[in-house]
Amino acid sequence: MPRITGDDLERITTEVARRWNGYRMRLMLCGGTGCVSNKSFQVREVLEAEVQKRNLEDEVAVVVTGCNGFCAQGPVMVVQPEEIFYQLLTPRDVPRLVEEHCLNGRPVPEFMFTPPGEDVPVPVMSDIGFFGKQRLVALRNRGLIDPENIDEYIARGGYRALRQALTEMAAGEIVEEVKRSRLRGRGGAGFLTGLKWELCRKAAGTPKHVVCNGDEGDPGAFMDRSIIESDPHSVLEGMLIGARAIGATIGHIYIRNEYPLALKRLTRAIVQAREYGLLGDDVLGTGFRFDVSVQRGAGAFVCGEETSLIASLQGLPPEPRVRPPYPVESGIHGEPTNINNVETWATVPEIIRRGAAWFAAIGTEESKGTKVFSLVGKVRNTGLVEVPMGISLREIVFEIGGGIAKDRQFKAVQTGGPSGGCIPAALLDLPIDYEALSRAGSIMGSGGLIVMDEDDCMVDVARYFIEFLKEESCGKCTACREGLEVMGAILTGICAGQGREGDIALLAELGEAVQDASLCGLGGTAPNPVLSTIRYFRDEYEAHIRDRVCPAGVCKALFHYHIEEAKCTGCLVCKKSCSYDAIEGERKAPHRILLERCTTCGACYDACRFDAVAKIPGGAPVPA
Amino acid sequence: MVGLTIDGKRVEVAQGATVLAAAEKLGIEIPTLCHHKSLLPYGACRLCLVELEQANGAALQAACVYPASEGLVVRTDTERVLRTRRMMIELLLARCPEVPRIRDMAREMGVADTRFPKKNEDCILCGLCVRVCQERMGVGAVEFVSRGVTKRIATAFDKQSPLCMACGACAAVCPTDAVNLEKVSSRPLRPIPSEFDEGLSGRPSIYIPFPQAVPHKPVIDTNHCLRLLDGTCGACEAFCDAGAIAYDQEDRVETVDVGTIIVATGFDRFDSRQITRYGYGRLPDVIDGLEFERLSHASGPTGGEILTTAGKPPRAVAIIHCVGSRDENYQEYCSRVCCMYSLKFAHLVKEKTGAEVYNFYIDMRTAGKGYEEFYKRLLHEGVHFIRGKCAEVTDVAESPEEEGKLVVVAEDTLLGMTRRVPVDLVVLSSALVPHADVADVARTFSLSCAHGGFFLEKHPKLAPVEAAADGVFLAGACQGPKDIPDTVAQGAAAAACALALMDEGKVTLEPVTAEIDPALCAGCRMCIASCPYEAITFDAERAVSVVQEELCKGCGTCVATCPSGVARQRGFTDIQVYAELEGILA
Repeated sequence: MPRITGDDLERITTEVARRWNGYRMRLMLCGGTGCVSNKSFQVREVLEAEVQKRNLEDEVAVVVTGCNGFCAQGPVMVVQPEEIFYQLLTPRDVPRLVEEHCLNGRPVPEFMFTPPGEDVPVPVMSDIGFFGKQRLVALRNRGLIDPENIDEYIARGGYRALRQALTEMAAGEIVEEVKRSRLRGRGGAGFLTGLKWELCRKAAGTPKHVVCNGDEGDPGAFMDRSIIESDPHSVLEGMLIGARAIGATIGHIYIRNEYPLALKRLTRAIVQAREYGLLGDDVLGTGFRFDVSVQRGAGAFVCGEETSLIASLQGLPPEPRVRPPYPVESGIHGEPTNINNVETWATVPEIIRRGAAWFAAIGTEESKGTKVFSLVGKVRNTGLVEVPMGISLREIVFEIGGGIAKDRQFKAVQTGGPSGGCIPAALLDLPIDYEALSRAGSIMGSGGLIVMDEDDCMVDVARYFIEFLKEESCGKCTACREGLEVMGAILTGICAGQGREGDIALLAELGEAVQDASLCGLGGTAPNPVLSTIRYFRDEYEAHIRDRVCPAGVCKALFHYHIEEAKCTGCLVCKKSCSYDAIEGERKAPHRILLERCTTCGACYDACRFDAVAKIPGGAPVPA
Repeated sequence: MVGLTIDGKRVEVAQGATVLAAAEKLGIEIPTLCHHKSLLPYGACRLCLVELEQANGAALQAACVYPASEGLVVRTDTERVLRTRRMMIELLLARCPEVPRIRDMAREMGVADTRFPKKNEDCILCGLCVRVCQERMGVGAVEFVSRGVTKRIATAFDKQSPLCMACGACAAVCPTDAVNLEKVSSRPLRPIPSEFDEGLSGRPSIYIPFPQAVPHKPVIDTNHCLRLLDGTCGACEAFCDAGAIAYDQEDRVETVDVGTIIVATGFDRFDSRQITRYGYGRLPDVIDGLEFERLSHASGPTGGEILTTAGKPPRAVAIIHCVGSRDENYQEYCSRVCCMYSLKFAHLVKEKTGAEVYNFYIDMRTAGKGYEEFYKRLLHEGVHFIRGKCAEVTDVAESPEEEGKLVVVAEDTLLGMTRRVPVDLVVLSSALVPHADVADVARTFSLSCAHGGFFLEKHPKLAPVEAAADGVFLAGACQGPKDIPDTVAQGAAAAACALALMDEGKVTLEPVTAEIDPALCAGCRMCIASCPYEAITFDAERAVSVVQEELCKGCGTCVATCPSGVARQRGFTDIQVYAELEGILA
């Protein structure tokens, strides 16, 4: 491919548009990791074969896109230009879909999304509640382009912001523009991006580095992965603009090795950008020099912390160090280094292209723009959502998320990944905003939203996250290493029915000390899950400790199973499901659980179709 | 320079200095564990937390890593700081409940016990060993392994490291004594024996020779210092605030012009290894007097506890007198001090351990003020005195009660029988002998040696501190075995004599000096070789020997030596001597 200049962007756009318009319809099949794991690549093979079989190659294009966002319904496919949304596709469904929709022009309602409680399917994607409330900035190209084709990114307006930054704006103006937009770091801490750029720009020393932090380590979070998978060039363009503003010549993208698809697409994007001359010695023929390299991380959560990340980039063990000096002054090899998260970088081109005022008009007073969340847990519509700042948690959970699955009662939503806090139902109307979340005892974090219902035990949730963070602590400082271990031990004790009076106070005391004394952000926020659950769900802790009862029926030592004779039909299903021979009973006669053998694994509870297996609060009674 | 305020006091420090350094400058104490002045700031133990006033509220930071900046306001004593520090030490106490350093710090900070499950580790993961090995030695033989709660410190593959130089820096910096050097290094360990502690303990390669050393300043052992040997380490230089470490210093010989000289070169100990049957150097619990002295001393290797090499207090101790003294095979003379120091040892053993003490002696010589009374006191204390020379010390048991013990075999001349005494520790009261280089010293200062090799005084009764050569005096055991009071007395006397000579400002020459007639001298220089006072020089120009009258003692050796008969002695010329004879005979 030849090197391009600024003028070629329009030519490419026209060519792509001509190609797109040459097709009667384009089948945008989601190739995000969620859909891929639900066999979307098999669907694609069948789809392509089917299109070929019916001689539709010239009329119908099959495009594999990045993550569509509605992961709960994967594999999903959007038929353009009508924007018909198909879901839960299997290779078996494909022949009929192609036959009906592509050949006969009749969309197939059977494969469409039907909102819960309704009968009529919703054919058009933007009419679906999940998509309706979203506002896409960082995810602007999701599902609309082939992420492995740079031309399609350009056709969607890509690299225009870079051209503008290189030819029309002075470096200082770019910084000013980003400052005016009041964009804040999407990695979690929410530092003003423009201010950080300015500090790095003014810092003495060359060369300067820009780093893209793609070490997304939160369990259940996949914002950064999805952005890279669906639109890698948006990240590259953001970094190019940032480098231009700061005066950096070296770029690093730190990405988890556990993200093979993202890694592949990113690498391909870099190769294409280099071929086009968008990276390298003479970007767009303007003489600007910048290139990036990809550094694969080995999956340590602590590498998301910027000083650890820098250590890891330098080949050292990922241990954080004290700031100041901040990386903008002394980062990689002691040189000025500006680190931003994937989502921040992806947002930058839109700010330059559409102006700071446009961006600043979205959101709240202190938090501008939009934020991507991975909405997971007990919510119906799990997936990736991008919403304007200031939207309430209720809107996200109930309108976009479609409410709690199985019509259970909402209990809490955990924001900000493992070191975030749990926000109770009473605060559901809290607007999403860095400060508001912080006041509620949680953090924005990188954007994990885990929804919990009445079947979730908050003590167990706190225990889980503390155990996770304990494993992921780098172990350098006493507070985090020893403190989290002790907190984990106390929580495990409480969940095992060995809680003691005073444990809650001790946890709170420890939590506060660990927050205060830890060296880095990991330890500094690690007690959040414990402190916030103590704050909002103290009664659950007290029930565990005083009454030896787990109200949600999660902590195995604090409840036991019992088969209700009245409901049991004697179907033997539970007996067969039990791996421990702990159920006795004859066909058509009520069964009984032998508590001395029962391990409380819950297989019978899940297997029973008559709700006859019940959780009885309190540990198994000791046989007389 | 940047100015900051700590606990309301303003202090200025260099750009880049830490808050901890600034606090040190103000004399504000902040507890630390993982901090070491010669290593880069690390910030792991979190004991040095201080509170910083910041725009968005007060925050805690580790003083050892946080850089001082202009206008920074620091508090080291707020309730929040102290509370959080207490929690940190409580967590460390749970990790290492048995480590004395952690226990002491916890107690000082008001934490009596920990509320958390005890782990009984001995390493607090402060990383000092890792850092000193990497930063100072440039080796990296020990490293952190794993992360989080499973983090630990190890060598590669948990095998003894071939990279390790066995320098011991890791063990030296470890605040909890958790480093076992034998497990770290595949090389043999090379502990540096402390000369002052008679090799009973080790010492670093930079050290103050002993607590009372004058000048009381450290020296670098050039044979062991890694900085001097291969350019690594240099920790002492980084550590010394005064900048007093200079690796380029070298030994030098200084020439000093003096009028008088006091020779006080002391003595050597008799090498008890020569008497192989006593087992010294072969049996670990056979020690000599000076070793016992260090062992029983409060500043010694065991802090004053008398212990055998097994680390236990002895139940029976033998003290063998006259090892190498009063012995035809070695020294015939009496070393004079051994009886009394042996009695002292016996008393110390009795007092400190309550062990049975057996003295094997030839004669008890307790001449001296109060000495006999001390001997009597020991007899009352129940110390055993066995009169008879020790035949041998052996670890070969002949009866069950001798198993695992040292057996002292000796003839008891009072009972007329041979005795076998099983003991745990044997102290040899070894002889005082002249230095091995006594001949060199004698030649340098024109001294004569008496029987046994000690320097000869001018007159045993009338000039006991003067040497034969004018202006040279003797003090202490170089002149003959003597105890401390005698040495002090003789030293004072020698000093007084030297002072008297200097105070006078002039010397009285002997009237009876030799002279050489230059007209007749053949220049054979035989007189120069014969002169014991080096008073004759050779005048090369005239090719004659010349007597320096100031040095000549009038001994007449040159007169007798001169083959030409041109050396004459004033007042004792041949004519005068003959005249005297004639006068007598007349």
